[in-house]
Amino acid sequence: MIETTATGIDGLDDILNGGIVKNSTTLVSGNPGAGKSILCLQFLYNGVKEFGEKGIYLSFEEDAQDLEEAAVSLGFDEWGEYVENGDIKVYDKQELLRENDFSSSLDLLLDDIEDAGYDRLVLDSLAMFELFFENESEKRTYLLKFTDILSQNELTTLMTNEQGAVFPDTEIGLENYLTDGNIYLIQTPTESGVNRYVWVAKMRKQNIETDIFPMEIAEGGIRVHQNASAFSMMSEDESPI
Amino acid sequence: MASVDILQTLGNKYSAEILDATDEPQSAQELSDELGIPIATCYRRIDELTEHDLLELHDNILSDDRRRIKVYRRNVETVHIDFEESLTVSVEERSEVTNKLDEAWRTLSDR
Repeated sequence: MIETTATGIDGLDDILNGGIVKNSTTLVSGNPGAGKSILCLQFLYNGVKEFGEKGIYLSFEEDAQDLEEAAVSLGFDEWGEYVENGDIKVYDKQELLRENDFSSSLDLLLDDIEDAGYDRLVLDSLAMFELFFENESEKRTYLLKFTDILSQNELTTLMTNEQGAVFPDTEIGLENYLTDGNIYLIQTPTESGVNRYVWVAKMRKQNIETDIFPMEIAEGGIRVHQNASAFSMMSEDESPI
Repeated sequence: MASVDILQTLGNKYSAEILDATDEPQSAQELSDELGIPIATCYRRIDELTEHDLLELHDNILSDDRRRIKVYRRNVETVHIDFEESLTVSVEERSEVTNKLDEAWRTLSDR
C-alpha cells in the first residue's frame, strides 16, 4: 500500500486515489492565473489545519505579505497565525533573492529540510530556481539532486511550472519527466468568465483518475468536481484536448 | 583577492591540467594516473592550488581497501586577466548553490 499525503482539497484527493504519493515531487503546471499558487497555498494550509503537518513555502514570486493576503482572501484565515507560530515557514522572494544571494538562504533552507520537522514543501516557481544553474545538464542534475534531498528528508513537494496544457503543441519540458507527478491546471475563457479544469497526467506508483475534471476557485480555495461529464457539454473547439 | 601569484601557480607545469580534470572530485593518485604526473609532483601541485583556493579538498572517501582517500575538486570556473587599467586578476568561483546542493546530496548517501 502506497502511503499518500492528502491535499485536503475537495475532490482532488479522490482523483488522486487518496492524495499525492508521500515524499514525492509533483509538478503543478498551468498558465498564469490558472491557480497554481492557490493549490500550493491550500496544500500547506490544509496540511497544518487538517493533518497537523508542518510545511515550508518557498516563493521566488511573492513576498510574505502578498502570500498572506492571498491566503486570507481565499478564506485561509489562520495562515498568518500558522506562519507566526512556525507551522508554516515562508521563504519569500525578498529573503531568497536578497543581494542576489540565494546560496546563503539555501543554507538555512537545507537546515530546515534536514531538521525533519516538516512534511510538506512548496517551490514557487521551478523556473526561478533553475535560473541558478548554467545549462540544461546542470538544471537536470540539480533538479534531480534537490528532489532526492527532499524525498530522503520525507517531504512531499509541489513545484509550480509556468506551462500551459495546450494540446497537441505542448512542449513537454524535461521537468515533467524528472518529477514523480504532473498536475495541470487548465483555464478556458467563456462568455461569462472562465472554465477551469484539473488534469492529473501522471503520479508514479499510484493508480489515478486520468480524466480531466472541472474545478472552481472560490472562498475556501480550489474545489474539484468529480463529474467529468461536464466536459462533454463543451463544444469541440472549446475543448482543451 | 586574487593576485599575480595566481598566474605563477597556474603557470606551473600540470596545474591547469589538474584544474581541468577536477570538475568531479579526484584523488591525487587518480590525477597522477590520468594525467601522467609523477605522484610527488602531483601532491605538490595540489598543495599549491589549494593554498590559492583554486582547488579544494572535497571529501575524505573510503577506498575499496577501507583506507581514507582525499579527493579534490576545483573551486574555480574562470580566471580573467585584465591589463586595461592596471593588471588585475579575477577568479570566478564555482557556483555556491551547486556546491551546497552537491554537499547536501552527498551526505544523504552517507546515512
